[in-house]
Amino acid sequence: MSSQQITAYVTAMFEIAVANDVLATVEDEMFRLARAYETNEALRGSLGDTSLPIERRQKIVEQLLGGKAHNVTVQLASMLVGTGHVSLLPQVADALVKRASSEKQLEVAEVRTAVALSDAQKTRLVDALAKATGKRVNLKVVVDPSVIGGVVATVGDDVIDDSVRTRLDQVKARL
Amino acid sequence: MNVYSIIAAEDPSLSHHWLFPEIGEIIYGGLASLIIFGALYKFGWPAAKKGLEARTAKIQKELDDAAAALKQATSDAANIRTALGDVASERARILAEADAQAAAVLAEGRARIAAEVADMEARATAEIEAARARSGDELRAEIARLSAAATTDAVRAALDERTQQELIDGFIAKVGAGR
Repeated sequence: MSSQQITAYVTAMFEIAVANDVLATVEDEMFRLARAYETNEALRGSLGDTSLPIERRQKIVEQLLGGKAHNVTVQLASMLVGTGHVSLLPQVADALVKRASSEKQLEVAEVRTAVALSDAQKTRLVDALAKATGKRVNLKVVVDPSVIGGVVATVGDDVIDDSVRTRLDQVKARL
Repeated sequence: MNVYSIIAAEDPSLSHHWLFPEIGEIIYGGLASLIIFGALYKFGWPAAKKGLEARTAKIQKELDDAAAALKQATSDAANIRTALGDVASERARILAEADAQAAAVLAEGRARIAAEVADMEARATAEIEAARARSGDELRAEIARLSAAATTDAVRAALDERTQQELIDGFIAKVGAGR
């Protein structure tokens, strides 16, 4: 049932974003919102709290994204909260990114770093990953402090891990 | 007339001889004796002979029985002696077998106890070694955990913004160069 729901949501969001000619913006903002939802326990608790009225939870989404995200993104996220399926947000966002990338003949490249990347770094990283994998990539950067330093890039089934966390894990294993 | 009056009436002077009877008496007496002896021989002897033979046979039978009894007794005695010998040898065999069984049981018990003791010692040694290894492992794990935590903290502290950017740029350069 969840798979069908996810597909239905993704199809709807994709069509709405395409119709408004904001697919790239919406899928990127949905991706970042999903990562924030995954890592922020307070946000998960608030949006999933069924004791709060739906209007209140939708207001939280609008306050969170207001002025920072496209209006279509805010409405789509608010729709998920309103239908009581906000817990599907990470899967829906990932599927939307994959669908959007597929439309553009791109492979999703999820990159995790401890600090944010500059635009120049993103551009060079896209080129580097395309060269390394032989695929055009749709770069999605996730700032993840647990990486500590360096980069972990996932392109399809390929994982390029050059993070400080992994090196420390290797040192720990040797210890 | 009674006997005393007859004896008193006899007159020794009128007798022929005081010792020898008269001829007629001898003849009569002799004939009577012959008749008696003949009758005895005719009728008494066979019975006496038969009685003697029966007696002899009886005595012989008793002798034979005695001999047979003696022979039987001798045989029984021999059998008893043989049986006693058999009993003694059987007793000796049973005692020897019992001794052998007791020795075997004792040896088996000693071997089993020795094996159990060896097994217990081996297990105790293994447990001691395992406990020692566990302690060592736990100690190493704790040291590793503390070292890893300290290393992580030290690395985090050392990773300033410039270093972070260098790591990212290094990654991009390495990936772009073909990993």
